Amino acid sequence: MKTLLALFLLLALPSAAAAQSPLQTLEGMWSNPPTTIIGQACIFYCTDALIDRLNALLDDPANDKKPLGQLRSDASARERAFIESRLTAAARETYPLDPADDPGLLRCEPWGLARQMFAPHQLEILGRGRDQIELHYGEWDARRIVHMDGRARPAGPATPLGYSVGHWEGATLVVETSGVAANQTQWRSKHSDQLRVTERFTRAADGKTLNLVATFDDPWSLREPLVLKKIWSRAPASQIAPYDACEPPPSVKRGVAP
Amino acid sequence: MRARVVWLALLALAASTGIAGAHHSFSAVYDGKRSVTVTGVVTQFRFVNPHALMTLEVTDKDGKVVTWVVEFAGRLNLSEMGWSAESIRSGEKITVTGNPTHEALPRLAFQRIVKADGSELVPAAAQRNDTLEEERRERARRRTPQP
Repeated sequence: MKTLLALFLLLALPSAAAAQSPLQTLEGMWSNPPTTIIGQACIFYCTDALIDRLNALLDDPANDKKPLGQLRSDASARERAFIESRLTAAARETYPLDPADDPGLLRCEPWGLARQMFAPHQLEILGRGRDQIELHYGEWDARRIVHMDGRARPAGPATPLGYSVGHWEGATLVVETSGVAANQTQWRSKHSDQLRVTERFTRAADGKTLNLVATFDDPWSLREPLVLKKIWSRAPASQIAPYDACEPPPSVKRGVAP
Repeated sequence: MRARVVWLALLALAASTGIAGAHHSFSAVYDGKRSVTVTGVVTQFRFVNPHALMTLEVTDKDGKVVTWVVEFAGRLNLSEMGWSAESIRSGEKITVTGNPTHEALPRLAFQRIVKADGSELVPAAAQRNDTLEEERRERARRRTPQP
């Protein structure tokens, strides 16, 4: 009888891997993308327009002698055109923003959501009790709280990183953010405080990479939703160091493309 | 120590600089199309975020000592390449190549350091290039029918 009971318990218990909660599969430290051509092209963000173009260029034998940087520039140009085609007339008036007008550069002003979420280097995902997940970025040492208890955004002024609520769709963490103060985006446009962002975080099947697909809606700056992607690699040994020595540069020059 | 200031006109891509991928675009501050090389003695290396900073004393051809500042990627980036606060020590003589500022201030965006013992420090982007080029060759091999 005891043997039968032990066998039943053994079969009833899920394996350790299957017992992992969705949060446990994402928790921990992630950092720079894989050292692959596509990974490095997505070090900040990337679009399917860039990935498809870069793959097509790499698959064409006529490009084998061209420098990789030239192919990346070609693909980046395709991406800029793709993004610009989705901007409203209002956003195109200032697109692309001059790097010399970057508040982070001029005044050490931390990034707003539409830049912070694409920050290079570390992203640490941490469970905070039953109902909160913290997204901690190395760049700017920025922290976002994702509320997982089904609440709606409370009334209140817009903030740089907005107000985030989340839920699970299987193993995918879906984060919806609104209440974001008007600011600059990582793709060098302006956005309004009507911005809404849906982020979908999924760990790759091999567990080595974390993929983000982010959809942006903003009736002021976007004619249609804009979808951007990002990749991080698992980096358990990486640590987030203090971010306390920002200094504005001694001088800046306007009109120089990045 | 005799100064050695060499101005080079290199078509250096921003992606090969040591602060690309950092918290701001470097193009508003540094000229990515030119490189400058100076030799001097390190007086300070600050392993901090968002950008590590080094100062070194460089003696120019008239014997005047000028303090140069070299800006690197941040500690977040450098530590993932294995750098530490001890990677560059005060008092050591180095030769550093970097992108100059648009206004030709004594300030560089790090591209390469050669130490007195011949060892080199290069940015992460330069370290990754070999891996990326190998991936590219492998892609070409895969699409070429093997005899």
